[in-house]
Amino acid sequence: MTDTAFISDDTKFVKLLYQKLERLCPALGELEPYEFGYCMENWNPPQGWNSVQLENKAEIEKKINDFAFYKSIQINNKVNGNFVLDEKIAHLTRMLFAGLVSSDYELDWVDKHFYFDPRGFFFLTRTTYFTQRVIDRFGGNPYASFEKKQREFEKLNGVGYKAFMAANREVDECFIQCVQKLIKIKKTPILLGIAGQTAAGKTEIVERLTKAFKEAGQKVTSIEMDNFLTDRDYREAHGIDSEGKQALHFDLLTRALADITAGKKIRIPRYDFVSATSSHDIDGKLKSGSEMVEVEPADIIFMEGNFPFLLDEIKDLIGIKVVYLTDDPVRLKRKWKRDMDYRKKYSLNYFRNRYFKDQFIMAQIAYIPQLETCDLAVDTTEAAIWATPDTSAMLRRA
Amino acid sequence: MDNFDSRLFDFMKPLNQGLEDLELYEFSYALKNLQPAEGWDSVQLDAPTQIEEQLSSREFYERIQTKKKVNDRVTLDDTILRLNRMLFTGLVSGRYSVDWVDEHFYFDIRAFLFFHRTRYFTPEVISHFGSAAYQQFKADQQKLERKQEIGFRDFRNANIAVDEAFIQTVVKLVEARGTPVLLTLAGPTAAGKTEIMARLFNTFAALGKKITTLEMDNFLIDRDLRGEQPIGKATSHFDLFKESLQELRQGNKVFIPRYDFINATSSHDLNHQLKDGCTSIEVEPADVIFIEGNFPFQIPEIANLIGIKVVYLTDDPIRLKRKWFRDIDLRKKYDPMFFVNRYFKTQFLRADDCYALQMACCDILVDTTGAALWVTPQIAGELK
Repeated sequence: MTDTAFISDDTKFVKLLYQKLERLCPALGELEPYEFGYCMENWNPPQGWNSVQLENKAEIEKKINDFAFYKSIQINNKVNGNFVLDEKIAHLTRMLFAGLVSSDYELDWVDKHFYFDPRGFFFLTRTTYFTQRVIDRFGGNPYASFEKKQREFEKLNGVGYKAFMAANREVDECFIQCVQKLIKIKKTPILLGIAGQTAAGKTEIVERLTKAFKEAGQKVTSIEMDNFLTDRDYREAHGIDSEGKQALHFDLLTRALADITAGKKIRIPRYDFVSATSSHDIDGKLKSGSEMVEVEPADIIFMEGNFPFLLDEIKDLIGIKVVYLTDDPVRLKRKWKRDMDYRKKYSLNYFRNRYFKDQFIMAQIAYIPQLETCDLAVDTTEAAIWATPDTSAMLRRA
Repeated sequence: MDNFDSRLFDFMKPLNQGLEDLELYEFSYALKNLQPAEGWDSVQLDAPTQIEEQLSSREFYERIQTKKKVNDRVTLDDTILRLNRMLFTGLVSGRYSVDWVDEHFYFDIRAFLFFHRTRYFTPEVISHFGSAAYQQFKADQQKLERKQEIGFRDFRNANIAVDEAFIQTVVKLVEARGTPVLLTLAGPTAAGKTEIMARLFNTFAALGKKITTLEMDNFLIDRDLRGEQPIGKATSHFDLFKESLQELRQGNKVFIPRYDFINATSSHDLNHQLKDGCTSIEVEPADVIFIEGNFPFQIPEIANLIGIKVVYLTDDPIRLKRKWFRDIDLRKKYDPMFFVNRYFKTQFLRADDCYALQMACCDILVDTTGAALWVTPQIAGELK
């Protein structure tokens, strides 16, 4: 049923939209209607809400599950020297606003495919990380689950680290214990790879694991995957993606991993981010005047980087493979605080464009593939730990 | 350097309770943007007295550049940056005491900067009100101290008692004096003017009073003729304004100029004559006439015509947090760095230009942050 009467009256439109959006996004309930009206000032189409063309639901679903849609998002577009919100993102939000008010799109349908970020005041697509294949791999059910305390973030516009850590306390503690048990069974030295999206909480969980290992008297070190990158000029000239094997001094990497797990001290290349060059030439020889990074032997060696076990050739060398996940809406709220408020790192529209664009793409190229090869997955938002049947059996025996 | 961060963090926690909600590494992320390339050791410290002197000079604020760009992004003004680097370093080295910093500055977490405290209650203002507040309530805005931004609902809830007392006072005064009455309300940006005006309006409407509003902006002359000067005698149709007020006080209908914001032109020329093809605005007589806009009621010829002159004040730290929420998060109106530069620059200058003068001649002063209602001894007498 389409109700065009509402759509032709801006005030009524905003009022009805507010009622509906509040149900999708509880944080909006903290606003006074006139404050909601302020937010809408940026969205009211010059030709009125009647002018917004609605696509049908099937069309939209197809689009938002297509790589091409995300690839086409322009993150850097500027008008009068200022970054602008990508036209496709803006169109999607306007369409959802109009479709919600006209009832062409039901709340449940919108909620299933999108989430509304209150601070950015726009819709983003939900990313599915736990595909059926991933769930099947973990035997259909989580290994452990706890109360979903991140629910309280639904009312917030931004999430600071203290609140985040407090919400994840139970699942994090259980996870740390799982890793400790696995290490006991698998023996040291062991390589530990933790993959996770931006702002999922990787750095912090690595710090806590490190502390736990040290307290248990274990020696800990880490290997930065990025140090194995080849010169950027070379990669760019040859069209090499930074995620692939070709982007790395791959032989040096496999040798280093084999040596350190054998308890040996290793010397690895050093990648300089400022000049975007490696200490090693393309044949894996140390350039004159360059220095290597020395890594002392240790019991537990963290593999640091976004894709520690994406490469088939090295995944078997990594003793424990973990994906540490937090849902997109919560990570976005973390980034509002951390990257926007505290670090002041990005311009508003660049940030909105980039976050919208990257989540789907990164899920497909990095996180889903790693979920399909990992031993453990932590889903902080659902407060659940997933383990492969093998890992699960080991943990129960321990 | 980690050591510098964590020591500074400890020194600063008593200055802003909201910092308790931050983890040290979050504090460090924010601080990193302000760290000098040559390290904190390189910061030269001015003597506290020298800083105090700067803070009370217009020149210090006037030279702040609000929209200078570096690599295409608006950058924090050098003066503000230098001041903040000094304060951070001085706190850690012990050169500046926490108490001294707190006396002169407040720390805003969103901006991650110290701002100077604007002093609104000068001895002159306090003595104008007979040295004591008329009514004093519990300062509930203290509950907002830990928040990084403040939405309207929280703000209104914190002001319930003082707002209610203010409204009752105005109603009583209007009853005592009879109508028509002219009322004006001034106050700094985001003090809560619009909202309290709307409530006064509704209160009088509920009492069956006829109400009208007079937009001060309609008396502006063409922008081309005004230049950058603030609103005042030289930039408005001052005589027309004065006449209109006199007529309305007599209970007469008036025709006032119309200012067109799109073309930035007035319906009237400099001789106060209606231009060809323009129309004036008809203002019907009413019991209560609200004069809206930031209007120079300190000018004596005007002050005498206005029955009730109000200044509605909220302290700078609270207004800043209101603006983070309203103007940055909700409206997305400004570049955040431009916003910070401008807020830092304008509070002192605006206070110096108008609020100090208005506070020293108004009838009622509402201090929402202090939860206090101030009235002149004369009005206190009338209210008895």
